[in-house]
Amino acid sequence: MSKKLLTTLCFAMLLAFPLVAQQTVSGTVTSDGEALIGVNIIEKGTSNGVLTDLDGNYSIKVGEDATLVYSYTGFETQEITVGNQTTIDLVLSAGVNLDEIVVTALGIEKNKKALTYSVSEVEPTGFAEAREMNVVNSLSGKVAGVNVSTTASGAGGSSRVVIRGNNSLSGTNQPLYVVDGIPIDNTNLGEAGMWGGSDGGDGISSINPEDIESISVLKGASAAALYGYRSANGVVMITTKGGSKRKGIGVEFNTSLRTESLINTYDFQREYGHGRNGTAPTTVDQALEEQLYAWGEPLDPNRNVMQFDGVERPYSDAGDNIARFYETGLTHINTLTLTGGSDKVNFRFSASNLDNSDIMPNSGLIRRNFTLRTNAQLSDRLSATVSAMYVNEIANNRPRLSDSPGNANYTAWSMPATINVETLKGDPNKLGAAEDGTELQFNDNVFVTNPYWAAYQFDNDNKKDRLLGKVQLQYDIGAGLYARGKIGLDRFTNRTRNLEPFGTAFRPLGQLTEEQREVQELNTELLLGYDKDLSDNISLSLFAGGNQQRNFSETLGGSGNNFNIPFLHAIKNLQNQSVNYGFGEWQVNSLFGSAEVGLMRAIYVNGTYRNEWFSTLTSPTGSGEGENNQAYYSAGVSAVLSDLIAMPRTIDFLKLRASYATGSGPGVAANPYQLNLTYGIFGQGHLGRALGGITNGSIPNANLIPLLTKELEFGLDMRMFTGRLGIDFTYYDRTTENDIISAAVSSTSGFGSKIVNVGEMSNTGIEVLLTGTPIKTQDFSWDINLNFAYNDNQVLSLLDPENDGESIRAGESRTQSAYIEHVEGLPYSQVGGFAYVRDEAGEIVLDDNGLPQQGEFTHFGTGVAPTMAGFGSTFRYKNFSLNFLIDSRWGGKIYSATNAFAYLRGLHQETLEGRETGIGSIPAEEVEDYYGRIYSITEQFVYDADYIKLRQVQFTYNLPSSVIERLPLSGVNVGIGARNLALLYSAADNIDPESTYNVGNAQGLEMFGVPSTRSIQFNLGIRF
Amino acid sequence: MKLFFRNIFLVALALMLTTTACDDGFAELNTNPNAAIEINPNFQFSWIQLRTSGERYENWRAVLIYSSTMMQHLATTCGYWAGDKYTYNAGYSSSLFDRQYTQAVKDMQDLINTLESGAAGDQTMLGMARIWRTVIFHRLTDIYGDIPYSQAGKGFTEGIDFPVFDTQEFIYMDMLKELEEGIAQIGDEGGFGDADFLYNGDPGKWRRFGYSMMLRLGMRMSEVNAAEAQKWVEKAIQGGVLQMGEDAFIEHTNGPEGINRNGIGEVLDLANGSAGERCPRLSETFVNWMKDHNDPRLDIIGTLPVNGTEHVGLPNGLDTETILDNPTGTSTDDFSTVNQAIVKVSSPMMFLTVAETELLLAEAAVRGWGSGDAQAHYENGIRAAMKNWERFDASIVVEDAVIDDYIANNPFDQADAMRQIGEQYWAATFLNEYETFANWRRTGYPELTPVDYPNNITGGTIPVRFALPQGELGVNPNMQEALNRQSLPSSFPDHFTIPVWWDN
Repeated sequence: MSKKLLTTLCFAMLLAFPLVAQQTVSGTVTSDGEALIGVNIIEKGTSNGVLTDLDGNYSIKVGEDATLVYSYTGFETQEITVGNQTTIDLVLSAGVNLDEIVVTALGIEKNKKALTYSVSEVEPTGFAEAREMNVVNSLSGKVAGVNVSTTASGAGGSSRVVIRGNNSLSGTNQPLYVVDGIPIDNTNLGEAGMWGGSDGGDGISSINPEDIESISVLKGASAAALYGYRSANGVVMITTKGGSKRKGIGVEFNTSLRTESLINTYDFQREYGHGRNGTAPTTVDQALEEQLYAWGEPLDPNRNVMQFDGVERPYSDAGDNIARFYETGLTHINTLTLTGGSDKVNFRFSASNLDNSDIMPNSGLIRRNFTLRTNAQLSDRLSATVSAMYVNEIANNRPRLSDSPGNANYTAWSMPATINVETLKGDPNKLGAAEDGTELQFNDNVFVTNPYWAAYQFDNDNKKDRLLGKVQLQYDIGAGLYARGKIGLDRFTNRTRNLEPFGTAFRPLGQLTEEQREVQELNTELLLGYDKDLSDNISLSLFAGGNQQRNFSETLGGSGNNFNIPFLHAIKNLQNQSVNYGFGEWQVNSLFGSAEVGLMRAIYVNGTYRNEWFSTLTSPTGSGEGENNQAYYSAGVSAVLSDLIAMPRTIDFLKLRASYATGSGPGVAANPYQLNLTYGIFGQGHLGRALGGITNGSIPNANLIPLLTKELEFGLDMRMFTGRLGIDFTYYDRTTENDIISAAVSSTSGFGSKIVNVGEMSNTGIEVLLTGTPIKTQDFSWDINLNFAYNDNQVLSLLDPENDGESIRAGESRTQSAYIEHVEGLPYSQVGGFAYVRDEAGEIVLDDNGLPQQGEFTHFGTGVAPTMAGFGSTFRYKNFSLNFLIDSRWGGKIYSATNAFAYLRGLHQETLEGRETGIGSIPAEEVEDYYGRIYSITEQFVYDADYIKLRQVQFTYNLPSSVIERLPLSGVNVGIGARNLALLYSAADNIDPESTYNVGNAQGLEMFGVPSTRSIQFNLGIRF
Repeated sequence: MKLFFRNIFLVALALMLTTTACDDGFAELNTNPNAAIEINPNFQFSWIQLRTSGERYENWRAVLIYSSTMMQHLATTCGYWAGDKYTYNAGYSSSLFDRQYTQAVKDMQDLINTLESGAAGDQTMLGMARIWRTVIFHRLTDIYGDIPYSQAGKGFTEGIDFPVFDTQEFIYMDMLKELEEGIAQIGDEGGFGDADFLYNGDPGKWRRFGYSMMLRLGMRMSEVNAAEAQKWVEKAIQGGVLQMGEDAFIEHTNGPEGINRNGIGEVLDLANGSAGERCPRLSETFVNWMKDHNDPRLDIIGTLPVNGTEHVGLPNGLDTETILDNPTGTSTDDFSTVNQAIVKVSSPMMFLTVAETELLLAEAAVRGWGSGDAQAHYENGIRAAMKNWERFDASIVVEDAVIDDYIANNPFDQADAMRQIGEQYWAATFLNEYETFANWRRTGYPELTPVDYPNNITGGTIPVRFALPQGELGVNPNMQEALNRQSLPSSFPDHFTIPVWWDN
């Protein structure tokens, strides 16, 4: 309904603006007398753009007072103001654009060559890009040192972005996201753990990719130093598109349709059917117990065998349950953009509607984005930027993951060959239900939920309303001095409903939670700056200021169980009702300053300083010895050698840089009330008596201080052969001290963990980015881009510096035989568990019963891949362009609980061995005990998580200008793109090695997530 | 340039002015408005008592799935009921350990710390709290052997993150000392008043409860150290144990939260939103014993089979396949289930009954400890055990005449007393399976015939302890030593056959 409305609105807009004043500019772009093909021409401030054709000709419709930007690999980018010109012929000169402006910390623009640290810009790749719903996923494989992992959690799921390795063992390792200068909240609203649960999405996934002009990644502590306690994990700065001066209003309409299909990585045995101990069930009771086990007899299509519902069906391969249960995902995105502007004021407004249905049946996401950005020159000296972004997000039935209750994936994937999942459908008008309306139970374990019941009768919905707003004023005092003030707000309300309906086998009378959470971050910043060229050879850039960050969150909800009236799923219908309430408030005050001196426009020296005070580290009772403030600083130098000394002709540009910085991760600063013991009161009590007990699950610590990172960075930036080859190399060495760890302590201490300032961890690594243009002819060009990053992480010490070999536990698999631990002397996030008992020759030793044995507790490797490599390539031929991206990870491990269960249930191919002959002293009918024992032996299910993926293939076609001229349009682009096209290499059985179920610090555990998907997207962009 | 320096000066001045006030109001901001920094000891004691009663989690796993089936009170064909067939499930085995330390021990230790420091409360409270602490710990050590005790629950108060494992012998000696000292601390004034769910703070009942606990713990040592056992048993008798009607139990309600409900009821009460656990049936061993003694409790404890008009118990150790060859019934509907009236979410949770105390007194008399009358105590025990069921539901009434008949038909026999007492204790502790399991191991009564399911972990003997959480091994460096000194091998499933100290 609402989608229809928006579409109607879109077309109404289209009709309203067909006669907007526009002019057509055409011309030819050449170099050294040769036509240049595929030169990118963009109307500045819009996504209106064309490419030159075979003969270097182009034609573009632009608004009045437009500026055109001409860019071409290996050539200097030029900007031309159109004015009244209708023909612009341009000669581009080969060479490198040495005066690129990049946006750095706090939104300060700097010349790229003055940078003493690494900033990676992800360029807008035009409107035909195969987009991810979560914009950060499209960074995957594109930026050296940026590791993006997605969760196996379906549409609108969270992503885990880690830049240059992990800094903290238990705090967040994700970067700070800054949208147009406003830090935004990226809290993960719920995640799955060992006992199940679902992903609640994160903050960055709300941003509409269409609104993004560019993304700039501040990778190291030096680049991010001015973000103080939020700097250590890097900063992802997103700049949204703005308006520009033009006549009339520019209208642009983009539509895309994306289909998503499941990648079936599972290869289970299809030779033996359901049953146990080598026999198929003969009674309903047996079938109920054995329906999930494939320890039956060899398939025999001529024989009928009992199933859970008392029906005997052929004991034959029932076919592909995965194809039957999951659906093809469909995403439709429409975006309408209006831009306009005069000398004094310009604006851009976009409205977008995303409508997704997931591969998980009855699950999907609707997201509506409205973005307005206005720039105004209020007087000669005063300018203002006002922007607002409103996001309305409705997630329908986020799928449950990991453990079995309510997790459709758990069962839909793991049926024995003889079971057709559609036999579990039950009532066609109420899927998954038996005749009496309750769950159609297909096995005797109530906690293994009927997948149709889980998908269609459970509710796990959330509605999020989010407002991002900013007001910024800048006043030019004169003589290079300026003052800037801004207020940025990020506020959202998240309303969730979580229903386990009446009639659910594991909760027969049902349970319901209705909850609303409000989260707000408000930043107020004042800054005074001074930019001046003191002479031709000396430039100065200074600024100082202060920031106040105030955060608040409040949760109010009701929950309860046991519905009085069956199937009336209303909160007031619950027999037992409880009120849920949560509250947190905290503040960080900061003062900062920065100075940069440039010499001969080739040598730059800079330094920054920031001091911060944390309410969260201020003891409410005045006890404790910890400081509540922390200072951070950075210093750096860069030298453009190619401007200072004579270079061989082949070298266009050579810069060396070095920097050092201290920084910190959010950790404790974002968690109020951790310093002392508190008691919760359960006022309703019991039999009229009030109850109260300790609320802390962690041992509180009044002496906490913020963690500190120290990072040294060296870099080299070289461009050769008139820009045909570029090398960008970075080496960094970072240590984290006083990490704030929620260290697992013995539960016998009364607490599960303890919050302590301990430990030391190092990350040392290199990042290499190679760009090249091996072939460039009139008709054809070939660009390549190769990025490589290696990060060596070492946990140097943990709780007690005197004691080596300590470890702390970060996570546990549902199988309770695999753990994630941080171990001294080993990289972060070790997958740990039990090895086989082996003799000296390495052979597995069996016990007296002939079963393998759980042996020593062993760490098998890190769950975080140390090596990443990406390879991208673009081919252009006339108006066609083809681009692909290959992404790979190396050196990580993953524990697959899915495969452990596949052993336990006799689904795994490897469990076929011995079914006729027995294994050793175990007779054939008892081999399930043999494989069942292996279930608890971790070693068997730890796999190399290495993979190579064909991440993206994209094909675009720009309608030639000669055709456009005959249409009432100014541009048409058509594109087809595909994401996650193929898993080219994987060492893990049955699973996608990229399928951990949460974005926390226990990386390396997998269990029954939503299967990964490949998507194909069609885009159409029309400009009027 | 002059302007520049003037501005620099202004900025510097502004910074200096703001610096002094950069953390104004932060202490107040970091005070949680929704929690208390101090707690009324009454609230906390009530909380701890309910936490000791436990959640569905450990009552399902440790009490029902493992203990009740091993003790042949219940039986099932469901594969995941690991106790019926002596198979290993790490999480079920460690469930009591996993929950009690963080849920009961933490607040228990905190409360005792508060009371000892004199910051709040009084000595009577402290005495009661020390007695309750032994209630929590004796269950843990009886099931797991050596456990963290003296250093447990002190993560905040004393900063002990990795408590040592104390030997069970040490723990028993200390618990008995704690009982003795705790009882002595209980004055006629003070205490928890009606915040105490057991006795509404009645000091006399609390002293008698303390001595009944002392009797239970003292008798536990009868096989490993008879002299010490006798000493404590006699001290308990002298001090005065619980009288008829003074059973130690907590009333539960329908909600609103899990803490209000009986954990066993949460598993088995079908009318009140339990998980629909339909696995357990009454064990053939239990049903036949009651039938053999013409026991009126059979109709209280059991509900007739769906297919039948008389009680039939399910043999332990059957699965859905082998039940097809079972002569007494081939469907689970052929067997008696637990009466819903005694496993409601609002059913009382029994900690220690007068029945148990009387039966232990009978045993003491048989052993010649103290000067009691074995037969009188034996008969009192039976009477108390039968009457106790009346607490569970208004529909349950046990007439005195019926009990008199039963006693007349099953007279005390001095020559066979230990067996008789052991069997009655077994029947009297149905649903308090921690106690059933402990007393069976100590006395060997009733003489249960183990099952021998393929590839069980005990070689066809009834387990005599539960395995500790295997995860604790990687966390607590003190655990390995505790395993070594108890000869517990690296393979956790093998722990189930190794007796605890007092069972040696």
